[in-house]
Amino acid sequence: MSQNPGRTDQRARDLTTRRKLILGAAAGGAGALLVARMWQLQIFQHEDLALEAEANRTRVEEVPPVRGMVFDASGRRLADNVPVFDFWLDSTDVDIESLPDLVESTAATIEADPGELFRTLERAILNGFGEIEIARNLDRNSALAVRENTFRWPGIELRPRYRREYFDGPAMGQVVGFTGPIPAESRDAYLDRGVSLAEEVGLSGIEMRFQDELRGTSGRRLLEVGALKQDIRELHYTAPVTGANIHLTIDTPFQSGITAILERFLSPGGAGVVIVLDPRNGNVLALVDYPTFDNSSFAAGISDDEFQGLIADPRHPLINHAISGLYPPGSTFKIVAAAAALGEGVVNAETPFQCAGHLILPSGWIFHDWLANGHGTVDLHRAIAESCNVYFYKISGGDPYAGFSGVRDKSLARYARDFGFGRATGIDLPHESVGTVPDRTWKQTALGAPWVTGDTYQAAIGQGFVQVNPLQLANMYAAIGNGGTLYRPRLVTHLTNSNGATIRRIESEAIGQLPVTGAHLALIRHALDDAVQGINGTGFRARTGTVRFAAKTGTAEYAGRRDENGNLPSHSWFAGYAPHEDPEIAFAVLIRDGGEGSHTAALVARDVLEFHFGGKVPPLRYPTLAAIRAEVQA
Amino acid sequence: MRLTRRLAALAARFERRDAILFTGVAGLITASLVALAFLGEPLSAGLGSQVLRQSIFVALGAAAYLALSRLSYRVWWSLSWTTYALAIILLLAVLVFGVERGGSQRWFLLGEIQFQPSEFAKIALIVTLARFYTRSPLALTTLRGHLLAGLITAPLVLLVLRQPDLGSAMLLLGIWQGIALAAGVAWRRLVIPPLFTLALSPVIWLVMYPYMRERILSFFDPGFDPLGSGYNVLQARIAIGSGGLWGRGFSESSQTVLEFLRVRETDFIFAVIAEQAGLIGATALLAMFGLVILYCLLVSLSAQDSFGGLIAAGVMLIFVFQVVINVGMNAGVVPVTGLTLPLVSAGGSSVLALLAGLGLVTSVSHYREPSYIQSRPRPAIGDVIE
Repeated sequence: MSQNPGRTDQRARDLTTRRKLILGAAAGGAGALLVARMWQLQIFQHEDLALEAEANRTRVEEVPPVRGMVFDASGRRLADNVPVFDFWLDSTDVDIESLPDLVESTAATIEADPGELFRTLERAILNGFGEIEIARNLDRNSALAVRENTFRWPGIELRPRYRREYFDGPAMGQVVGFTGPIPAESRDAYLDRGVSLAEEVGLSGIEMRFQDELRGTSGRRLLEVGALKQDIRELHYTAPVTGANIHLTIDTPFQSGITAILERFLSPGGAGVVIVLDPRNGNVLALVDYPTFDNSSFAAGISDDEFQGLIADPRHPLINHAISGLYPPGSTFKIVAAAAALGEGVVNAETPFQCAGHLILPSGWIFHDWLANGHGTVDLHRAIAESCNVYFYKISGGDPYAGFSGVRDKSLARYARDFGFGRATGIDLPHESVGTVPDRTWKQTALGAPWVTGDTYQAAIGQGFVQVNPLQLANMYAAIGNGGTLYRPRLVTHLTNSNGATIRRIESEAIGQLPVTGAHLALIRHALDDAVQGINGTGFRARTGTVRFAAKTGTAEYAGRRDENGNLPSHSWFAGYAPHEDPEIAFAVLIRDGGEGSHTAALVARDVLEFHFGGKVPPLRYPTLAAIRAEVQA
Repeated sequence: MRLTRRLAALAARFERRDAILFTGVAGLITASLVALAFLGEPLSAGLGSQVLRQSIFVALGAAAYLALSRLSYRVWWSLSWTTYALAIILLLAVLVFGVERGGSQRWFLLGEIQFQPSEFAKIALIVTLARFYTRSPLALTTLRGHLLAGLITAPLVLLVLRQPDLGSAMLLLGIWQGIALAAGVAWRRLVIPPLFTLALSPVIWLVMYPYMRERILSFFDPGFDPLGSGYNVLQARIAIGSGGLWGRGFSESSQTVLEFLRVRETDFIFAVIAEQAGLIGATALLAMFGLVILYCLLVSLSAQDSFGGLIAAGVMLIFVFQVVINVGMNAGVVPVTGLTLPLVSAGGSSVLALLAGLGLVTSVSHYREPSYIQSRPRPAIGDVIE
C-alpha cells in the first residue's frame, strides 16, 4: 500500500479502467461468437433447417387410387368396386357410462351382437386402445343410419372406402382371384412400391399377377399444417390415377358351362380340370378347376366357417390345379416319345414291333401293357391310336433282345422340353408349377440314384418321374393341332385405362416350335384322329356327331392308396384338338383320382366339344357311373 | 498501462456518445414494436394489444429516461439503501399479492397492465452495490468485504428464486460479480463465490425446481423431450436457420406464422426476427445492442467518480448478460433460462426499468463537475488484512 493517495487513486483508476475494458472485450467477444453462430445456422445450415421448417409446415397425404376392373372376353364385369364405409370409434372419446346407450343405438344397424359389442368397446375404453374399427363394409344406408344414431358421440368416424366386388365368382373366382390385407412377409416389398399398409392387394389370380397395373398410382395432397397438426390449407394436389382394367380371353358363359359339364360327371368328392385353348393363338378359352371357390366371399369378408371349409377340403379348392397341380401325364405323353423316335430316326412309320402284353427286362422287371394279351404287331399309327405301351417301351428304352437301343432318356427329355414340359408356360397367373422332365442327370441330382432302362420305359408312357401341369399338356396338344407352334397361353388380351382406351395390348406370342417335321407331324395327327375315330381307338367314347376331332386318352397311376383289387389310384386324362382339320380349339381334361378310368374324362371332353361347336350345353345323355352307383345302392 | 489510460482519455473525449445510445435504443425499440405488431393482436384490440401495451411502457420509459438523465445520479448515493429496501418490499409483496402465470408468481396485475418488480430490483441492486464498492474500501481489499456485498445481493436472489425465476436470480448474481470485477476486486477473491457454487452444485441440483432441471437437461440434449422443454430450442434453431441470409419476410415465416415457435413475444422473439429478417436482420439487431453496450462502457470509463462508473458498468452488464443468454438460448448454445431480450421482448416493466437504467447512465455521462462522493477514509495500514 502506498502512502500517496494521489498515486493510489491513479492506480485504482487504472485498475477499474482495465477491468471495464476486459468486460467490454468479453462482451465484444461474446457478440462475435453469437454472430458466428448466426452465420453457422443461417448460412451453412440454412438448407437443412429450411427443409426442416418445410417438413414442419407440410404434411403429405396419400390419396389411394381406385383399383382397376376385370372384364371377360365379352366385356362382362368380373371385378369392380363398390363404395362402403368402415365404422371407426376413437375409444378415448367415449366414457363408460354412455356405453350401453351407444351399443343400443348401433348394434342393430351394424348387425352386431349387443353383448359382444359392449364387451369389445368396454375393453377398448378401459385399456385406452384409441381408435378401433367396429364394423367394416357398411353400405350407404347402414352408414347413414349409424351416423343418425350416433350424432351425440364425438370420435365416431365413418371412413369411406372402395370394396372389391366380384361377379360370376363360382366360375371365374379362381382365375380372377381376390384381394386382401398385405401379408406380413411381403409388407416391405409393397411399401417400397408405394402401397400403403391400409390398402388391400391382390393375393391370388389376376388380382395378384396384375397387382401393380390394377392398383394404379396414388395421388398426393400436400397440406399446410399448424403447430397443433391442424390442417390449414391445401398447397398442392395430384390426382390419383385409376388402375388399369384387365380384359381376359375367357368368355364367362363358356367357362360356366364347362364347369357345369365337369361337375355333373364327377362323383361326390371328385375333382377335375378342364382347359380349353385356341390353338391358333394360344388364347385361353376356359380354365376350369373343380372344386373352386367364390371370390365374392373373400371380398365381403369371408366367414371363419367358410374359410375353414376351404382349408380343410382335401381337394384344396384354393389352389388352381390347372396351372399349379402336377400329375404324371400317362399315355397322353406318348406323342413325345413318338416324335422323338421319328425325329432321331430310330423308327419310321412302318417299323413294326411285337407287343405281347408285357416286356420282361433281363433284370427280371416286368413292364405291362394295359391290354393283357397284347396288341400283336404294331406300327407307329396303331401304337398311338390303340395306346400300346410295349411299342413305346421299345422305341424309347430299346429292346434288349433285339439289340435295339431306342431314343434313350437324354433325347426323350430334350424332346419333352421342346414340347413345353419342364418349364412354365408363362400364363399370366401366379403360382404356375414347372413340373419334371426326368433324365439320368436329373435322377442323379434329385434322387442320387442311377438311371435304369425301366425309368426310360416309364417316362415314355408318361409315368414314373414325369410330372406336368394340365396347362402344359393342353398347350402341347394345341401346338400339335396348329402345325407345331407352341404359344404362350394368353389369358389377357389388353389393358385399358379408366376412359376405355387401350393402354397395353398383350399379343399372342410363340414360345417355341415342336421339333417335328411336317411329315412326322402328319403321321402323329393321323394317328390321334384314329385314336378317337378308329375301330380300336381308345378315345371312342368321346366320339360325337358334332365335330370330328383328334385326341389321346391317358390313365396315370400315381403312388397312393391301392383299391380293393390292388390297383394304384389313377388320374384320367383326355387331351386333343378339334376339328381334326384346322382345329379351333385344343383341350385337356383331367379327372383327378378318377378311378373310372378314361371314361369320365372322355365324356367330359365330348360334352365340352358339343358345347363349343353346338352352342349350348348338351343334355346328359345317360346317367353317370356315380348316378348308377347311387341308384344301385338305393 | 499507457494503453489503458489512452483509451480512458479517448472515451472521455468522445462528445457525441448520446447519438450512439439513441441510435441503438431507437433501432431496438423499432424492431420490437414491428415484431410485436406482427405477432399479436392489432392496435384496435385496445389494451389487449401487445404492441399498444408495449408502446405505453416505451413512452413511460422515455419519460423515466428523460427525468433520470436530467437528475444528478449522485442523488442515488444517499437514496441507494432506500431503493434497496423498496426492492425487497416489492419482491416480498409480489409473493403475497402477485398473480401466477405459467407456474411462476412474478407479476402485480393492475388492470390489463402487468408489473414485474424483479426488473426494478436489478437497477436497485446496481445502485446499492455501486455505492457499497465505492464507499467501503474493505470491499475491495478483503474477502470479507466482497462476501458482504454477496450478502447484500442474497435476499434479492432468494426472493426472486422463490417466484421462481431462475434467470433473474442468476442475473442478479451476475451483476454482483460483474460490478465487483469492474470495481477492482482481486481475481483470487473474485473466483471464490463461483468455485464455491460449483462445489455445491450437486446440492443445488437437488433443491432445484423440476422445471429448472428439465431446462438444463434439454439444453444438453434438445431431443431429450422434443415435445416438452426441448421443443422450443429445436423450433428456434429451425426458425433461425430457415431465415437464411435475407430472411423469409413476414408472411412466409412459417415457423413464426404457424406457431411452431412458441413464447414468440418474449423468450424467442429473437428467433422470430432472425427468421423474418435473416442473418442481416439478426446481425443488425446485435449491432444495436453493441451500440448500447458501447455507450455504457464509454460512460463508465469516463465517469467522474467510481459510483457513476459502476452504475454505468452495472447497466451495461444487464444488457450483456441478457443479450448473450437470450440470443444464446435462441441459437441453442445456452440453456433456456427465461431471460428476455432487453428492450425487444414484450414486457413493460423490463422496458421501463431498462430505460430508467439508461437514464442513470446518461446522467453519469452528463454530470461532469468534480465529485463530492468519496470513499471512507482509508484504514490505517495495520488494519488492512492483506
